[in-house]
Amino acid sequence: MHTLMLVDDNPAIREIFSIFLEKTGFQVHVVPGGKECLDFLKTTVPDLILLDIMMEPMDGWETLCAIRNSPATRSIPVMMLTGKEPTPFELQQYGKWIEDYVMKPVDFKTLAGSLTGVIESHRNMHMEVKRLKTEGFDPAVIDEYCNLRRTIVVSKKLMHRFRDTWRVNDDGIRMQEEHLRQLRVTLGLPVSGQDMNRQVERNKPSDDDGMDEQSKYWRGNNVYHNNRSGN
Amino acid sequence: MEKAAVFIVEDESIVAEDIRQTIENLGYSVSGIARSGEDALEKIMETQPDLVLMDIHLAGAMDGIEVARQVHELFKIPVVYITAHADDELLARAKVTEPYGYILKPYDERELYSVIEMAQYKHRMEQRLAERERTIRALANAIPDAIMLLDRQKRVIAINETMAQRLGRNADRVTGFPVAECNKDGSLDTVLRHLDAVIEYGRKVQFEQQDRGRWYEIALYPIPDIDRSLAWIVIQYHDITDHKEFEAQLSKEGISQIEHNMEQFQILNDQIRNPLQAIMGYIDIDCTVFTPKIKEQIHLIDTLVARLDKGWMESEKVRSFLLLHYRHGRDTVTEGKGKDVQGGQT
Repeated sequence: MHTLMLVDDNPAIREIFSIFLEKTGFQVHVVPGGKECLDFLKTTVPDLILLDIMMEPMDGWETLCAIRNSPATRSIPVMMLTGKEPTPFELQQYGKWIEDYVMKPVDFKTLAGSLTGVIESHRNMHMEVKRLKTEGFDPAVIDEYCNLRRTIVVSKKLMHRFRDTWRVNDDGIRMQEEHLRQLRVTLGLPVSGQDMNRQVERNKPSDDDGMDEQSKYWRGNNVYHNNRSGN
Repeated sequence: MEKAAVFIVEDESIVAEDIRQTIENLGYSVSGIARSGEDALEKIMETQPDLVLMDIHLAGAMDGIEVARQVHELFKIPVVYITAHADDELLARAKVTEPYGYILKPYDERELYSVIEMAQYKHRMEQRLAERERTIRALANAIPDAIMLLDRQKRVIAINETMAQRLGRNADRVTGFPVAECNKDGSLDTVLRHLDAVIEYGRKVQFEQQDRGRWYEIALYPIPDIDRSLAWIVIQYHDITDHKEFEAQLSKEGISQIEHNMEQFQILNDQIRNPLQAIMGYIDIDCTVFTPKIKEQIHLIDTLVARLDKGWMESEKVRSFLLLHYRHGRDTVTEGKGKDVQGGQT
């Protein structure tokens, strides 16, 4: 059973997520703010933290920094679950530290699959990192590789969002992907396209045709932006 | 028309008397006669005649040419020379005093008459011309813009006082010289570059330039001749520093306002999406049990939307004010599409 921690200052959100996630088979801890989150992490290490951005007095990004700056919590995966779209500046700064971000309102059915996917993907990456470290690769390169993998996920989402506003093209993403490919070569990892897209693939619901209209709507507009730019 | 008063300067009294007779016969009055230069200047100052008849050869310290020079300079009264013999050197000296005519002795009455009439006519014309030039100059100097007029050889024809100050040069020192000579400090570089295009294509050129801490809109206009060929080029410096500062202020305020709005949008985004998420969650779990909670969340959204509407109203108030005050003056504020504006109900 996976353990989740939800950090959100809105009591209604805490209520529905704990009911739903427990029903889905997660063990859930809900906390109302960044400070409480950090306190809680002293005793419990969840498999994934769902973090709201707009909170008082300590917001989501500050909480994220604190989590990443402490050796005990550094490697816990974090997914932003937010009402406000993260700004390009924020994603540039913190994108490398989060597995993904999801906009509220999110459809529970698709969220459940997505959460498991993120946890498993992170676990795979974690094991991969462990193996690479024992094989004697430079920890700095390994770190860069992990950060870049995460960055590409949010970059694709960001690019998709601003494609019309800024008329950006895929060059930036392609450069990042090329860089990632080189790092994989350096680290002796396979470089097939299939494998590299695993981070993206995990967000795809397993049963596409079985989705109801509502789910398709949320998939198209919110959670799965990166699918389109990913393929 | 009243007949002119003539003053006679002649050191030979018989000749002077003869001239007086002739003059009076012609119907003019004689305001006085002087035999020496010093005496002449004194009496001319007193009597202020319309014309002076001057013998070039005078006994005494000053000759006629010197007296004429002073009369011209001090009183602006036209002088006609009377002389028995005119050698080239003398005439060359006399020319400098801008005489209105020469009469060679012996003269006849008709010649004297026509020379006096011509001199008077010429003097009147010159006065009128000078008056017009003063008017034009006053007009040019009344304009706060710096203005320069060039001919197609790029020589300075005229500049106004503001332009003289800009160039740090006296207007008289510049007039007639190539404009490039005013460009010692390089401030006219851009103007000179565009000048050729104006001369060649006869089209107006306009650009903005910063100079010594101020902003100018600089325009080069071709002025066509009667035959539509290029006669002159006007160079005009219009100071737009205040306008620029106003624009900068407006855009600065605009940017901070936009940034504020963007922040507000994000807050509202978050505040609306949270209740939406709650509603979706309640419905997903069990909508019959959570109906009161769903209603509570809907009420929250309703309150937020009301706040949005109020924000729109406030913005509309500011927009109307700006349009009312700046639409006719400046085009920095342009009217919105207005397709859904219902005439600002307040």
